[in-house]
Amino acid sequence: MFTKKKVAVFIVLLVLVLILDFWIFNNVKDEFADIIQSNRAELASALLLSAPTDEEKIEGWLATNREKHPDLNIIYIKGLPGYGDSKLFTVEEGLLRFYSSNEDSAVFEKGIESAVYDELYFAQDNYNYRDSENRLVFAPIKDEMGFPVGVGIFLFNNKEYKKFNNLINIFILAVAAIFFVVYWLSQFTRDPMLSFIILFLLLLVGIFIVYPLFEAVRLTFLKDGQFSLETWKTILTTKQYVSALWGSIKLGISTATFSTLVGFLFAFVITRTAVKGKKFFSTMATLPVISPPFSLTLSIILLFGNNGLITKQLLNVQNFSIYGLGGLTLVQTMGMFPIAFLTMVGVLNAIDSTLEDAAMDLSASRMKTFTSVTLPLAVPGILSAWLLVFTNSLADFANPLILSGDYRVLSVEAYLEVTGMNRLGNGAALSLLLLLPTLTAFLVQRTWVSKKSYVTVTGKPSATLTELTSKPVKYTLLTLMIVITAFLIGLYGTIVAGCFVKNWGIDYSFTLENWSEALQRGKDAIVDTTILATITMPIAGIIAMVAAMIIVRKKFYGKRLMEILLMTPFAIPGTLIGISFILAFNKAPLILVGTAAIIIINYVVRELPVGIEGGVATLRQIDPAIEEAASDLGADVPTVFRTIILPLIRPAFISSLSYTFVRSMTAVSAVIFLISAQWYHMTVLIYNFSENLRFGLASVLATTLIIIVLAVFGLMRLLIRENKVLAKNDAVMRG
Amino acid sequence: MKTKTTSVNLENITKIFKDKQSHSEVHAVQDVNILIEPGTLVTLLGPSGCGKTTTLRMIAGFELPTKGKVYIGNEDVTYLPPNKRDTAMVFQSYGLFPHMNVFNNIAYGLKLRQMSKSEIEKRVMEILKVVGLEQLAQRAPSRLSGGQQQRVSLARSLIVQPSVLLLDEPLSNLDALLREQMRVEIRRIQQSFGITAVYVTHDRVEAMSLSDQVIVMNAGKIIQVGSPEEIYEKPDSKFVAGFIGKVAFFPVEVQEVSEKKCVVEINEKVFNTYSYVEGIQAGQKATMMCRPESMKPVEPGEGILDGEVRTNIYLGNSVESFISTEFGEVLVQIDNPAQKKIYKEGKKVSMAIDSELARVLPEE
Repeated sequence: MFTKKKVAVFIVLLVLVLILDFWIFNNVKDEFADIIQSNRAELASALLLSAPTDEEKIEGWLATNREKHPDLNIIYIKGLPGYGDSKLFTVEEGLLRFYSSNEDSAVFEKGIESAVYDELYFAQDNYNYRDSENRLVFAPIKDEMGFPVGVGIFLFNNKEYKKFNNLINIFILAVAAIFFVVYWLSQFTRDPMLSFIILFLLLLVGIFIVYPLFEAVRLTFLKDGQFSLETWKTILTTKQYVSALWGSIKLGISTATFSTLVGFLFAFVITRTAVKGKKFFSTMATLPVISPPFSLTLSIILLFGNNGLITKQLLNVQNFSIYGLGGLTLVQTMGMFPIAFLTMVGVLNAIDSTLEDAAMDLSASRMKTFTSVTLPLAVPGILSAWLLVFTNSLADFANPLILSGDYRVLSVEAYLEVTGMNRLGNGAALSLLLLLPTLTAFLVQRTWVSKKSYVTVTGKPSATLTELTSKPVKYTLLTLMIVITAFLIGLYGTIVAGCFVKNWGIDYSFTLENWSEALQRGKDAIVDTTILATITMPIAGIIAMVAAMIIVRKKFYGKRLMEILLMTPFAIPGTLIGISFILAFNKAPLILVGTAAIIIINYVVRELPVGIEGGVATLRQIDPAIEEAASDLGADVPTVFRTIILPLIRPAFISSLSYTFVRSMTAVSAVIFLISAQWYHMTVLIYNFSENLRFGLASVLATTLIIIVLAVFGLMRLLIRENKVLAKNDAVMRG
Repeated sequence: MKTKTTSVNLENITKIFKDKQSHSEVHAVQDVNILIEPGTLVTLLGPSGCGKTTTLRMIAGFELPTKGKVYIGNEDVTYLPPNKRDTAMVFQSYGLFPHMNVFNNIAYGLKLRQMSKSEIEKRVMEILKVVGLEQLAQRAPSRLSGGQQQRVSLARSLIVQPSVLLLDEPLSNLDALLREQMRVEIRRIQQSFGITAVYVTHDRVEAMSLSDQVIVMNAGKIIQVGSPEEIYEKPDSKFVAGFIGKVAFFPVEVQEVSEKKCVVEINEKVFNTYSYVEGIQAGQKATMMCRPESMKPVEPGEGILDGEVRTNIYLGNSVESFISTEFGEVLVQIDNPAQKKIYKEGKKVSMAIDSELARVLPEE
């Protein structure tokens, strides 16, 4: 069982895992040390701001601080040592001795000198004082004028920090041990590599999907560590929260209805009539899918807001507010009708138009044909589009965050509870509440609608198209479509215009200052966002393809469960995922909040379902014999994946990569909970700029984001087309 | 090119698939024992759904038996994954890698074995010559004809010098003429390599023309094992007799059984046969099987059964005559029709049976 090669492979793997393991956790350690250091600096400065310069009051001040911070020892030096008289104040004799024994050391000299020059100084060594390790911070004491008049030396006890460090060390070992155990266990199965991958996926699902959700649910049933239904009672009886639930549902219904109407209009005209520019219209109707959050809201505000171009400058209407249900429905419809459009194009294309020809041949009028043939056949598709938009509208966070005004919706309410009020339990409960209509819609779609589907795919689009509409009807529909498209183009144009306007609503003169300021202030966020999305891309892409392969091709116990769990994040609103992540990963054993890792994991988990679906759909079209042949010739699972599957599902892989990238670049609902000072996100910055009414800056960032996203999509199209060209050449040669 | 010759042994193999929708179990293979001698070609023959492909896939390792053991040579490979087994399979749909050309398709297995480039090239060219595709090494599989694809698939399997070659209905996607050619070719290559091979098919002609041994399966069970001659001439059951070739069955009553002879009563006439299934006893009701070539139409009253010619089908080297009798319509094959008397359609005839060729089977 343990051949030389196996042992070698195992050792290499173990070393790699250990390196990765240590690297990740050392980063966590470093980041934590940074946080600790900045906390200490903050505390020291804050304390010294209140420090008295009167000698009589110093003792009292020291005593109060002793009570407030028992683990903190302070040495107060009045006067500047080396620059005249100085006097020491402490609460303990021992501290005086500690000072005098270290007074002449290089560190103390450096520290005091820094303090004299009005700078904080962190000593990098540990100092023993009263049997415990301490870190030293030297800070200046200033008078009212801001001149240094003394030095404060802070002895921060390292107890907590060390405890945490030990925890991380234990965790490093635990991760290595888990890896080892999993590897070892898989050796006892028939196909070790396959088992390893399955166990890995199960761990991923367990730790990053099940555990956080469990934590979120658990928290809503706890009060002061005891089981309690109080949170739910509050949520379900407080008017504010209940109205948010109804608000979400009402918004969902109206957005879904309007989006379905607009989507059907586009889909019908494009699939069932002969008009020019179909390609242009369908591109326009899909564009909003990839446009970043806040962008449409932003331009709606620029046009219809309190200082809006149309409301104020052109019409000068009073008492009009775009904030609320109406504005939200408008912006969500513009952003989400593409979902309905794409669904219905598929459905209408699949309805063989010879059926319509047959109806007309039996002397049904056009109207009769539409109502008795086309529409009934399209009903399941229409329903399914409606439900999809409904789900999306409910999960939407970015638009209501800016545009809801007094109108309440669940996703924003949950966010405010968590970040504004620090009531995590309420936030978790609200976002769980959001899950209720979402899951209902999802289940209805999956079970009822998909079963009702009459559509049979013939695979043969009929060559000719009999017009189902009379000329006046056709031109009415076309005009409607043109108006909507023009409005959409206007919205995007407004964002671009917003970049070059000095002060929207007041001063419309041309400027480039927005660009320099926004790029200056947003530089870090842009870089961070791009780095995070770039790291996420291959991880999510490869995991998605591997999972797809296992789901389609392998049989094992618990496969169905794993599949369901992997797909759940698709149905779960981002707000809930964000909240459950901070709940689960802000405490031992997995402290990840504040790191890049948590953001990347969040992206990976959320974007997996779409990638997996793409991979599954492509794989189902590939003859299993191809992989079996490879495996029969001696290729193990990873080799089959690398040499056979990946090349064959390249288009799905590339689109999964670019989709993940774009979605990560434009994420907001979950990531807004997870960002930190170290890792910021562009979309959140756009939000901050809009909140501060810096619409010019927000427009620049939104435009930048749109450019990045479009560039990535263009690149993906190129890559996929290259594939198609190859295939075409092949066909030509064969022909 | 040399190959190892290894035996394959299946011991009490059972495979049960669970049908999740109906929560029922499908017994695809039931308690099957097969011993395949080194260097022989054995065919698993049976109607679709009889478990023959499942059996083959268990030898390859794509399916895990629910019960039982699989041995290749003396090694128990039951739990070994396909990539660790020394088998190579030729798939019904060929399973060629569409993103690789012919050369790389064939070289795939050798590359996995980390052979040197020059060695790989030498061997691939060698095997391409064997299958007659030297000129097409750089072609994409999609630009090959069905027969050529089949050859690439065969070459790809043979080049890794497997202990066992598995063929899963390899010819079913080819047209009739090509199928005949490839049949001969596969047999020629198998014999020249001396490789142990298991061949799955539902086509009786393929099975008979290729195999050293034929294993007839039905409903997950082995019905009969034997050489093609045995299976054709001495089937043990109506199922095998009917599956392996055209046949007529007549109900008879056994009157006397001795070592060499089985006397039956058919249509109130006594008839001597010399071939019967072991265990048949006097006094039993039984079935007598007659192949079309063992009967001939004669003047009314001269034969064993009376009837009337319904249809004559002229095939050149023979005429197939459908004669209705009291036991239903019976097909009679008349070889060399030019030299024989052909009764016109509608004529009353009697049927004579060659007692050397008839066989008595148990009634089912």
